[in-house]
Amino acid sequence: METNYETIVIGGGVVGSGIAYHLSERYKEGVLVLDKKYPMSGTSGSTQAWVWVHNKTPSWYAEFSMYSAELYPYLSKKIGDVEYKRTGGLSPFFNESDREKAQKLAESYRKIGIKIKVLSREEVLEKEPYMNPEVAGATYSSIDGNVNPFRLIDMYMRAAKRNGVRYSAYNKVTEIKKQDGTYLVVSDKGAFKCKNLILAGGTWSREIGDMLGVKIPVNQLRGQILVSEPLKPFLNFTISGLRQANNGEVLMGYSMEEAGFNRATTLDVIQETANMAVRYVPGLRKAKIVRAFSGIRAMPEDGFPILGKVPGHESLYVAATHSGVTLSPLIGTLITELITEGETSIPIERYSLSRFG
Amino acid sequence: MKTDVLIIGGGPAGLSAAIETASRGLDVTIVDEASKLGGQLNQQTQEMRPLPSVYEPMRGFELANKLIEQIKDFNVRPLLKHRVVGFYADGSAGITDEENVFPIKAKKIIVASGAAEKAVAFPKWTMPGIMTIGAAQILINRDFVLPGREAVIVGSSDFAMETAMQLMAVGTRVKAIIEKQSEASAKEQEKVSELLRNGIPFYFNSFIKEARGNGQVEQIDIEMPDEVITLNVDLICMDGGRMPILDVFYQLGCSFGFQEELGGWVPQYSNTFQTDREDVFIAGNAAGISTQGALLLTGMIAGISVSEELQTISPAEANEMREALWKELGLLEYKEVYSGRVKHLENFTSPVLKDQFIS
Amino acid sequence: MDKTTIICRCEEISCEEVEEVISNGGRTFDDVKRITRCGMGPCQAKICTSMVAEIIHQQTGLSPSEIPLPRMRMPLSPIKLETLGTNSTSFSAVKSVLDEVEIEEGKVR
Repeated sequence: METNYETIVIGGGVVGSGIAYHLSERYKEGVLVLDKKYPMSGTSGSTQAWVWVHNKTPSWYAEFSMYSAELYPYLSKKIGDVEYKRTGGLSPFFNESDREKAQKLAESYRKIGIKIKVLSREEVLEKEPYMNPEVAGATYSSIDGNVNPFRLIDMYMRAAKRNGVRYSAYNKVTEIKKQDGTYLVVSDKGAFKCKNLILAGGTWSREIGDMLGVKIPVNQLRGQILVSEPLKPFLNFTISGLRQANNGEVLMGYSMEEAGFNRATTLDVIQETANMAVRYVPGLRKAKIVRAFSGIRAMPEDGFPILGKVPGHESLYVAATHSGVTLSPLIGTLITELITEGETSIPIERYSLSRFG
Repeated sequence: MKTDVLIIGGGPAGLSAAIETASRGLDVTIVDEASKLGGQLNQQTQEMRPLPSVYEPMRGFELANKLIEQIKDFNVRPLLKHRVVGFYADGSAGITDEENVFPIKAKKIIVASGAAEKAVAFPKWTMPGIMTIGAAQILINRDFVLPGREAVIVGSSDFAMETAMQLMAVGTRVKAIIEKQSEASAKEQEKVSELLRNGIPFYFNSFIKEARGNGQVEQIDIEMPDEVITLNVDLICMDGGRMPILDVFYQLGCSFGFQEELGGWVPQYSNTFQTDREDVFIAGNAAGISTQGALLLTGMIAGISVSEELQTISPAEANEMREALWKELGLLEYKEVYSGRVKHLENFTSPVLKDQFIS
Repeated sequence: MDKTTIICRCEEISCEEVEEVISNGGRTFDDVKRITRCGMGPCQAKICTSMVAEIIHQQTGLSPSEIPLPRMRMPLSPIKLETLGTNSTSFSAVKSVLDEVEIEEGKVR
C-alpha cells in the first residue's frame, strides 16, 4: 500500500469524509483517510441527522449553518441521492409565555437575513395537522431539513474513492511525529507520510490532538434516540425532537447527558423521550418503537465549531464540531479552500482553535 | 415492585432456580412472556432422559407440570405475559404487561432467557412453508396445527430427528433428511436408525440448491455430490443449530466468551453461575446449549448460589450441593458440551467481548 | 452461498449486498447494517446475525470469535409508545431546541 500522501485525514465520519470528498474534487494529489474502525462507527452513525439552522444562536452561528444548508441540494446532485429533504423546521412551544423568547429569536435572525416566523397555534396546526392541539405556537423556518446520514457518508466515500481517495479502515492512529516539514502518521497497519494533516477525529479529538501536543477541547454529550416502525408519511416538517425518514420511520429524541463515551441507553431517558414524542404528536401513541440507540455528540468546550489551521503548526488543520451533519458541506468546502488557496471564502477566524488560549 | 430474586424466563432452568430460591424463604418473581410457565417443555412430547436423579424420566410437558406443581408451595410470583423491555439507570428491570412499563428492583437477577434457533439460508428460503424445526414442533404440539403434508428436514441433530418423528406421528410425509456433512450429527444413533427403518432417506453432503413456489414452497432442488434431484414439498423444516439468547445480558453490560460447543457467544460465568455482573446469574440454554436434564441442573446451581449470596444457606452447604450438582452435570451432559463449558469457565477472566457500550 | 439469497428478511437485503460492504473495508455486522440497513427491521437482527457472521467469516477469514456481536438495544422487542410512556410532562434529560435559546438583557445571547 502506498505510504506517501499529500494529505491525510484522520477520521472518516461525516466531517472527515466530507472534507476528503470536497478536497478530491479540486485537488488531484494523493489523499488518504484513516479510520480507527469503519466510518459511521462513531457519532455520524448514531444521529437524527437534522440539517438544522434555526434556533442556533448567536446569529452568526445560525448564518454559518444556513450557508451549509444551502449547499445540500448541489451536493446531492454531485454525489448522489442522500435523501436530503428541505422540509422546513418547526420548534414548538406549549406555554404562551415562551412566545416572547421566540419573537426575540426571530428578531435577531432578521438582522442577518434568516427568515423565521413565530406561528400562532392555528398556523402550527395548519402546517402540521398531527401536532398536539394543545401547542401554543412554534418558530418556523423554511431552511431546515434532514438527511439520511448513512447514505450521506456512503455517497461521500464512493465519490471520494472514484476521485482517487484511499480509505484505510480498522486502522487506528497511535502516534504522530513531525519530521522535516512532513508528518509521520503511525497507525496499526503501518506508517504514512504526508504534507497536510487534517484532524477530524470527532469525539476523540482530544486524544488525537495530544499526539501532537495540541489541545483540542472537545467533550462528549450523549443523546438517546428512539426509532419507530415504518409509518405512512404523515409528518410534513422536521420538528425539533422528531422527524420522519424516507422509509416512514419516525426518529424521536433530543436528550443531553454527560456520560463520557458510554453509548448505553437507559429506560429512564427512553421513557422521557416517549413522553416528549407523544406530547408533540399524540397520534404516535399507537406506533411501536423498534429500537433506542444513543450517540455521543462531539461537543467543543464552548459549543462552537473548531475549524481551520492549528496555530503554531505548519499544514495542520482541525475540524471538530457538533452538528457535523448540518455543517459538513460547508466545512468540506472551507477546509478545501484553506488547503488549495490558503484562505477561505467566508471568514472563519472566530472558529479558530486559538480562541481557547 | 421489589423482590429478592427476579428470574427472567420461566422455562425448565428458570423454574428450577425458582424452586431452589423460594424453598429457602426468598421472595421470588418470575417474568415470562408466554401465558404458561414451562417454556419449551410445554411443546415437547418426547421423553426427557436423562434427567437429574431427583426426577423420573418423563415427557416434556409432564416435566413442566411437575416443576410448576413444586413452586406452588412457595412464595413465587409468576408474571406471565410479561416481558423485559430494558433496564433503568439504577439497575431495575423495566417490565411490561403491554399496558404499562414498570420497574422491578431485585437483589439478584437470574437470567434464564433460553435459546434461539438459527436459520439455514438458500435461495427463496423466506417463502411460507419454510420454518425451523422448533417452529414445526410448536405448531404441532402447542397449536395443534399440521405444518405441512410433505416435508423435508434440513439438518440431522437429535432435535431434528425428534421433529421428523413427530411430523410422521401426525401424518406428515417426511420425504428426506438433507445433511450437509457426511454423516448425521445426532448423538443418539437410535433416532437415525428409527427414521431409516421408516424408509426415510438421508442425503449426506447435500443441501438445498433452490426452493420454488407460487406464494409458498412447492418444490425444491437438492444438490447432492453426484446429481441434483427435485422433490415436491410444502414444508421445509430447517435446523441451523441453536444459540443462547443474549440480549438481556448484553443490556446488563455482561461480558461474553465464544465457545463453539456451547452454541457460540455465551455470557461469562463462574462455577457458581454468577456472571461478571455481581447481581446477575445465568441458567439454562443461555449458559450453553444443552439437554433438558442439564438445563435443570444449571438452574439448581444458580438458585443455590443466589441463596448463598442472600444468606439463606451457608457457603459450606452451598459448596457441597454445588459440587454434587456439577458432578451430575458432568455425567448428564454430552461430553463435548461439558468440556466446552469447563473451558468457558476457565476463560472467565479473559472475555472476548466486553465494554460493549464504550465507544 | 448464492448471491441472490436473502439474508435480512425484514429489509430484503441479499448476500451480494452484504458482501459488497466487506469488499469495501467493512468488517462487522454493524458496518454492514449502516450501509445496507441489514438488521434495522422489526426483528432487529435476531434472524440475520449468524448468517452475516458466516459471510464475514467466509470473506475475510476472521474466526467467529473475532467477529463481534451486533450492538443489541432496548427495547428487547417492539413496544408501543403509549405503553412505554408515563404521561409525565416534566423532563430532565430531554430538551426542546427552544429551551437552548438564552435571553440576556432582553436580547438573544
